[in-house]
Amino acid sequence: MVGNAQMWGALFWLAIAIFVTWAGRDLGLGKLHEPGSGFALFWIGLIMSGLAVVTLIEAFRGKPESLASLWHGTRWEKVLLIVGLLLVFGFFFDWLGFVVCSLGLLLILMFFVDPVKPWLALVVSFGATFGVWYVLTKWLKIQMPNGILAPWLG
Amino acid sequence: MDVLGGLYNGFAVALQPFNLLACFIGVFVGTLVGVLPGIGPVSAMALLLPITLNSTPEAGIIMMAGIYYGSMYGGSTTSILVNIPGEAASVVTCLDGHEMAKRGRAGPALGIAALASFFAGTVSIVALMIVAPTLARVAVAFGPAEYFSLMVLGLTVLAFLTQGSIAKAMLMACFGVVLGIVGIDQITAMPRLTFERLELLDGIGLIPVVMGLFGVAEILSNLERSIQREVVDSRIGSLMPNKDDLKRSTMPMLRGTVLGFFLGILPGGGAVIASFASYAMEKKISDTPERFGQGAIEGVAGPEAANNSAAGGAFIPLMTLGIPPNVVMALLLGAFIIHGLQPGPLMMTQNPGIFWGIVASMYIGNIMLLVLNMPLIGIWVQVLKVPYKLLFPLILMFCIVGVFSSGSAVFDVFVMTVFGVLGYLMRKFGYESAPLVLAFVLGPLLENNLRKSLILSRGDFWIFLERPISLACLTLAALILVAPLLPTFAKKREAIALDSEK
Repeated sequence: MVGNAQMWGALFWLAIAIFVTWAGRDLGLGKLHEPGSGFALFWIGLIMSGLAVVTLIEAFRGKPESLASLWHGTRWEKVLLIVGLLLVFGFFFDWLGFVVCSLGLLLILMFFVDPVKPWLALVVSFGATFGVWYVLTKWLKIQMPNGILAPWLG
Repeated sequence: MDVLGGLYNGFAVALQPFNLLACFIGVFVGTLVGVLPGIGPVSAMALLLPITLNSTPEAGIIMMAGIYYGSMYGGSTTSILVNIPGEAASVVTCLDGHEMAKRGRAGPALGIAALASFFAGTVSIVALMIVAPTLARVAVAFGPAEYFSLMVLGLTVLAFLTQGSIAKAMLMACFGVVLGIVGIDQITAMPRLTFERLELLDGIGLIPVVMGLFGVAEILSNLERSIQREVVDSRIGSLMPNKDDLKRSTMPMLRGTVLGFFLGILPGGGAVIASFASYAMEKKISDTPERFGQGAIEGVAGPEAANNSAAGGAFIPLMTLGIPPNVVMALLLGAFIIHGLQPGPLMMTQNPGIFWGIVASMYIGNIMLLVLNMPLIGIWVQVLKVPYKLLFPLILMFCIVGVFSSGSAVFDVFVMTVFGVLGYLMRKFGYESAPLVLAFVLGPLLENNLRKSLILSRGDFWIFLERPISLACLTLAALILVAPLLPTFAKKREAIALDSEK
């Protein structure tokens, strides 16, 4: 029972639903003829709670699916790596700039996450990064952070 | 303005060089994303939406629309040659299209797919032109109660038609409404669910949510298993179907066009359902149903016509009521709003150039697509051979660029990452993203119309039941929710879901 994946999914949504209901009540329900800011949130939260309970009941019908079985035989570590890379990208984007961050991301993805031939990784990474940077900043006039390369990229 | 006069003005707009270029880019990118498994029209539209901000509203919307119907064309290529649908509406084309390819008939399969797409796409535009002005005149009389009930119906139909548990789909729709409500309350100016973050005061951006749920989540899901593609390498040969092929395909094409158009109009319906319904219908009325799944050309012609016709039909509720019937149209609604336009019953009178310009551009786009698809099949086959390990880093980079350039905020990159993880987990646990995104776009409208209705009626819920259109929508929504409890409907719904999974 503890490993039932669908049960954990339903409990997660039940927690969200309870929070939404509470937030709606906290914001103020108002009156029926003048609904407040929390009116819709409160009622949607209650409906969500009901649906989450139905999902919880459904989780115990038939053969339960274990949490481990959802990731069995998959390359889950690559998924974690990409999520980590995206977070790191976000944290350093303003400071290092678009070119350095994108180049780093592409090189790591093509060298370590799902490797391709090194020369191909280099050509694609450099070509795509500088190509996209040029099109965005010079043609489309979309401002991208230049970061530490600002003196050279202008 | 009459239909012909409107169309004349529309062509004057669509034939302007910049708009022609936008149309070409749209259908080209649409075909490309349709061909490439792993990136669909939703991600592509979200990706290019920020770029359209620098152009005129006409060009931006023409390009977005082009991506949508272009992807319907392109999706069939991967279904036939690789047995992997480029996008969901082409799933059913795999069944007979790939069988034809394996038997050395890839050329006629691709040819009939392109012809059926062109025929249905063109007919649906004519129908759109005729139906939309009439419906817009009726829609002027719609009040908040009608809008609220229609949106409830749309979300219910979408939840009913998604795979798996309806409770899960409805749960996602509710969560989508909650996400749509985040930000300053338009009536009381009170911040809601912003967690004291300044970035959330304007609400959560549509682009980071869509890119996360569809772009990043797709990459994460694809990456955890190695993708093996088997492209049919034998010579494709002549694309022209023979006389017998054309004879067999004509009626399925006609039926698919009519069926697809009406299913496209329905809120929650759309190209995916239309293609499945057309396949099921053709198989049922065929004298030789055993040929289906073994390379029957009717199994390609009907569904391809249906999904392209549905793409045209889907514009009707958006253009006339301002209500998107599916996720792609929800994104198009976002594009309209970003460009300062509000689709709805007054669109044709207030912005006739844009409405008729889009309609006219669809005629032009369909011709461009026929030209692109028939002779360029060889190029699309080469594109298909690009390994996914080379594609996904680029798609990921484009996702980041698209999200950042939409708001120039790193915060949006984090939002995209969060929704990417959420979307990945939702796929793992069997929760659908489509109801969430549609509800996210409709959420503020839904809440606004609910509150307006209650204020107008002085808190009396009868307002939703005493108005005929509202009553009809709510009754239909209630019936749809009750339907799965009846064994016959439950079995039919499961059958649709199982077919989709195949």
